Amino acid sequence: MTTLPLSAALDDARALLDTLLTSNWQDAHVVSGGTEIFIARDGGRPNPMRRAANAPAKTSAAAAVAAPALTEVAAPHVATLVDSVAVGARIVSGQVIATIRVLDADEPIFAPCSGTVTAVAAASGAMLEFGTPIMTLSEAA
Amino acid sequence: MALKRLFVANRGEIALRIVRAAQALNIETVVAVSDADRDSAAARLADRSIVLGPASAAKSYLDPRLVVHAAKESGCDGLHPGYGFLSERAILPRLCAEHGIAFVGPEPDMIDALGDKLRARAMAAAAGVPLVPGSDGIASAADARREGDRIGYPVLLKASAGGGGRGMVIANSGDEAEAGFDRASAEAVAAFGDGTLFMERFVPQARHVEVQLMGDGQGNVLHFGERDCSVQRRYQKVVEEAPCAAMPDHLRAQLHASAIALARSVNYRNAGTAEFLYDVARQEFYFIEVNARIQVEHPVSEMISGFDLVQEQLRIAGGAALAVTQDQIKLNGHAIECRINAEDVSRDFLPSPGRVTKWAPPQGPGIRLDSHMRAGAMIPPFYDSMIGKLIVHAETRTEAIALMADALDRFVIEGVPTTLDLHRAIFAHPGFIENRIHTRWLEQVLLTERGRAAA
Repeated sequence: MTTLPLSAALDDARALLDTLLTSNWQDAHVVSGGTEIFIARDGGRPNPMRRAANAPAKTSAAAAVAAPALTEVAAPHVATLVDSVAVGARIVSGQVIATIRVLDADEPIFAPCSGTVTAVAAASGAMLEFGTPIMTLSEAA
Repeated sequence: MALKRLFVANRGEIALRIVRAAQALNIETVVAVSDADRDSAAARLADRSIVLGPASAAKSYLDPRLVVHAAKESGCDGLHPGYGFLSERAILPRLCAEHGIAFVGPEPDMIDALGDKLRARAMAAAAGVPLVPGSDGIASAADARREGDRIGYPVLLKASAGGGGRGMVIANSGDEAEAGFDRASAEAVAAFGDGTLFMERFVPQARHVEVQLMGDGQGNVLHFGERDCSVQRRYQKVVEEAPCAAMPDHLRAQLHASAIALARSVNYRNAGTAEFLYDVARQEFYFIEVNARIQVEHPVSEMISGFDLVQEQLRIAGGAALAVTQDQIKLNGHAIECRINAEDVSRDFLPSPGRVTKWAPPQGPGIRLDSHMRAGAMIPPFYDSMIGKLIVHAETRTEAIALMADALDRFVIEGVPTTLDLHRAIFAHPGFIENRIHTRWLEQVLLTERGRAAA
């Protein structure tokens, strides 16, 4: 299988997602050439790729330390970024880490995990679209 | 002030249609998309697209605050709502007005008034537009006979508190009206706890006709002729034509005059459609409602009038007055539109999203296609299933039918089931060719015959 252009790969991922959503499957795992995709509903099987990726980490503590889990926080819908916590800030799960605004209403963004802010991707006053990265968190071990 | 940058708050073929109209007027375009529509044809063509939210319409296209926020933050001075979604929700023009954005449509109070059936009927009555003959509350069987005699049979007895067909009785004579009163009233008491009935003339075989209107809010109102949208399934239009070939000219003139009188009485602004029930047997028409938006089927009016109605909408929203007078609008020939849906007709018209693997539309003189599809395009499962509108224009209805039949035969779509075959059957059916259609024709005649043939 030849390498797909990015847009075609995204289309295929969406097609798979569409198929899952319109079926009564709990999850779908597709391996094709160099591409492997797993998607699941709440209650579906755990991701087999993650198991594979985690397996060596158990035998090598060094590898786990070298690659801490990074969590990207993205805008849940179009909005303007009012403010956010700074790089290096230590945060706890559920804490407000950013405020976004739609028209004249502010909305908090809560930390999905505890950890440290490793990067802030958007400046205050910037317009965010759905999915625009706001910041990256390094999960506390 | 003419619009400089337009926000397109819709998706699918109409978003693309609006972008093209804006580009023809040198207006910049920003298209709102959901996560599922990032790669849409409108998003590709526009100057910019903004992802409002996830695929779910409620969290993207149907959220007026997200829509107006995106329009404002992207520096748009105008917003076109298209049809469906938020197009007839007064909250959208209200938010636009609060944030200095020109809404391409009527004022919010007008949308509210027209969206309320009783207020719309009162507006129509005040403008002298005919309503379905009917009664006030009916309290006894004797009342029912007297009102039925006055209105003319058949009549429909309906529960005032009603809905869903309960407490509804059709009566063909005074005797049936008396007997029907007792039955319908008892049903109404049982279903709604209120036995009050009212009566309306029943039209067993009606046509749906509608007049395309455009006002500038500066005292000028024009019509672009009428459309006949009688081929319907479950109240959804399937085929639309202009003009209504089953209507004599004197009645057509009255229909246009009624629609204009209604629009003028409220100084209507932007595009609207006055919908009527046409009782062919009685040669009468009755007001149904006004749709305060551009409609799916506007292209057939464009084809016979030669006007680009979406461009007119954008000019009016930019503050321009209508540049032509009624006598400068010449209606020529006959146009027909087929709504092509990605649906599986054999499975009760089940919407069938998926990837279009082949898309080869017919081309040629008199053929127009309004569609956002292409080979490789994905039809997401989250929205309506219309994938395009095939439109033809010819000298006469007969020629237009022949042109459409040929165009449908040459249209190749692969990858998803579509309603193309149903359209082919419609255009081959003697009932359609001989123009013996009514609003229940598709279900009662064509689909019933096909069901029988398949059994």
